[in-house]
Amino acid sequence: MGVPEKGCDAVKALVIGANSVRRLLRDRANIFFVFMLPMLLILVLGAAFGGGSDPRMGIVAEGSGRLGAELADSVRQTEGVDVRDYPDKDALVVAVERGQLEAGLIIPVGYDDTLRGGGSVALEFVARTDPTSQALRNTVDSAAVRQGTLLRAAAFAESQGVMEFSDALELAGRVAEASPEVLVTQEAVGEPFVFQRLGTFDMGAYSQLLLFIFLTSMTGSSALIQSRRLGVSRRMLATPTSVGTILAGESLGRLAVALVQGLFIIFGSAIVFGVDWGDPVAAAAIVIVFSMGAAATGMLMGAVFKNDQQAGGLGVVIGLGLAALGGCMLPLSIMKLFSPGLWRVAHVTPHAWGIEAFEEIIIRDGTVADIGLQLAILAGFAAVVFVLATWRLRVALTRS
Amino acid sequence: MGEGSPEAVLRCEGLRKSYGGLVAVDGVGFHIAPGETYGLLGPNGAGKTTSISMIAGLLERDAGEVMVAGKPLTTRSTDAKRVVGLVPQDIAIYPDLTARENLSFFGRLYGMPKVELKQRVAEVLEIVGLADRAGDRAEEYSGGMKRRLNIGIGLLHRPRLLILDEPTVGVDPQSRNAILESVERLSVEGMAVLYTTHYMEEAERLCDRVAIIDSGKIVAEGTRRELVELVGQHDRVRLTATGDLKAAVDAACAIDGVKGADVIDGGIDFLADRAGDRLIEILTKVGASGVIVSSVRVEEPNLEAVFLHLTGKALRD
Ligand SMILES: Nc1ncnc2c1ncn2[C@@H]1O[C@H](COP(=O)(O)OP(=O)(O)OP(=O)(O)O)[C@@H](O)[C@H]1O
Ligand SMILES: [Mg+2]
Repeated sequence: MGVPEKGCDAVKALVIGANSVRRLLRDRANIFFVFMLPMLLILVLGAAFGGGSDPRMGIVAEGSGRLGAELADSVRQTEGVDVRDYPDKDALVVAVERGQLEAGLIIPVGYDDTLRGGGSVALEFVARTDPTSQALRNTVDSAAVRQGTLLRAAAFAESQGVMEFSDALELAGRVAEASPEVLVTQEAVGEPFVFQRLGTFDMGAYSQLLLFIFLTSMTGSSALIQSRRLGVSRRMLATPTSVGTILAGESLGRLAVALVQGLFIIFGSAIVFGVDWGDPVAAAAIVIVFSMGAAATGMLMGAVFKNDQQAGGLGVVIGLGLAALGGCMLPLSIMKLFSPGLWRVAHVTPHAWGIEAFEEIIIRDGTVADIGLQLAILAGFAAVVFVLATWRLRVALTRS
Repeated sequence: MGEGSPEAVLRCEGLRKSYGGLVAVDGVGFHIAPGETYGLLGPNGAGKTTSISMIAGLLERDAGEVMVAGKPLTTRSTDAKRVVGLVPQDIAIYPDLTARENLSFFGRLYGMPKVELKQRVAEVLEIVGLADRAGDRAEEYSGGMKRRLNIGIGLLHRPRLLILDEPTVGVDPQSRNAILESVERLSVEGMAVLYTTHYMEEAERLCDRVAIIDSGKIVAEGTRRELVELVGQHDRVRLTATGDLKAAVDAACAIDGVKGADVIDGGIDFLADRAGDRLIEILTKVGASGVIVSSVRVEEPNLEAVFLHLTGKALRD
């Protein structure tokens, strides 16, 4: 029969994959695993990493008078800054130390009086040493400069005998609101230190996601072992279907599930909680090739082991072990600082490459073009493991 | 149909497989013509399943060759497998899928187009008598129903060679009859069938030719008549009796047509032509020599006897 072979194989792999998804979803116990777990992860990731895009700044303005309150308002109206009020300096400093705030501004008591009396006042700025606090510092500076300009205008008017200082200040304020503004936008350049917020131990939502989808893609191992034990894998081999097609089909089912879960988590957490995943196309590309490697690993285990409990247990150990080694628990940047050897070893895991790819697109605003190397290595990992798995399955099915 | 006949649907030769030190199959070879049903008859562990697995391209062989419809078949040849249908000895179905889903799934793997498949699934469900349970999950079926589904999957794509490995074990007589009938019908339609069984009656009813396999080797092969002739074309009369059995044997051997007699444990075994005609005479002679007969059994030569003769073993333990 002259049926086109390749297309036929692809269709068969899809048939096998669809069958495995159908069987997966038919078992009620899996509903939790397939639908609830990703939702749970969205909540967890959202709580940990969501909304973090706005830096937080505390302000102490007690007793600083009208001009103090105006300065505080001016900072508060700056876009992209989450401003919270603090009663005193001590509370503010503690909050900054604990990482609850990126920075704090203390407007001293008597700020208003001193300024109106023609004296000068020092504003106190408390910050962590990271680029975010630098940006906040700029916000405060520009608010202070804005207020200073008005003060100088009012002082000038008073010295010329035009009107009273307070009236002049009010007038200056109205005029300023109506006149055009010069805006300076800021852009960060150069390589920031990846691990910025040591205090809150921020590992990035992506490391959690990679850990999760590797584990779920690997659950294909127990499905394959089940098929082997039922004798249906062997029966598939009795049909005009190659071992490679059988394996592709078996991995495709779980891969599809893991992919849907992964993308659901990414878009869910991004939309609902504003978790930052970088360029969506690049993020999806990473998740796809990474899941393929994980699915192939599951197939290799499913081909090697005879007992699905055994494979399931070992799968979790391997999944967590690779994740730990690959930098999902201890950041690679820290690992590199303390042990360059370990850091190099970490790069045998797909996790390390996945994390580096995510860092590239999230921290350095990279696109697919910037993570070509990582994607290629992840795809290569998937291909090599898949070939190994096919070989082992062939041996398992036809040698005994 | 000669040995190297090009029309043979299946031709295999020199099949060999060993597991460690154990030689499970040792030089098995035969051929099957279109429309022919070929039986592999042998006791547990004879090497039937191992041979079949090599023929169907499931098991890597140590040596030998398999040709199906003129094409070589190995574990890797997807093309030659297209025309083979296999019913494995161990039921291989998805318990969490329905009969219809199981059939459709394997039908797709045989590359059957969707529309044709749907119609064929309905036909096969009728053949194996599962039409009214087609929508139930296989795990809810009785053992015999699962076995019928197992058979149905093998028939689905109208293979030119259908291989059945002890397909009727555990099936009730009525369903078994239905299965045997459908195999007969397929054979009439020109399908070649390779059939292994423990059941003598099935082999005798279905098979045009039978191979007797023991310890991995085919010890005899032929039509039933040919095999029976191997052992000598005699009926067997078995008496359960007490008394002077030796004297009775001597007396009865004088009867024309009695070819031989032996004292066996608790009785006498006679070999005779047309034993039914001579039964009265034999019993009279035996009775006259003072032996008391408590039961008589006349056995026409069958494959069981052939098997016993060739291997010294009973077919079933
Ligand atoms: N996977 C295996 N590993 C080791 N030995 C095996 C294996 N499969 C079969 N054997 C051995 O090969 C021999 C032939 O087994 P096979 O299953 O072919 O017998 P069979 O004729 O089908 O028996 P039955 O009628 O019980 O099904 C037996 O001695 C069996 O123990
Ligand atoms: Mg067997």
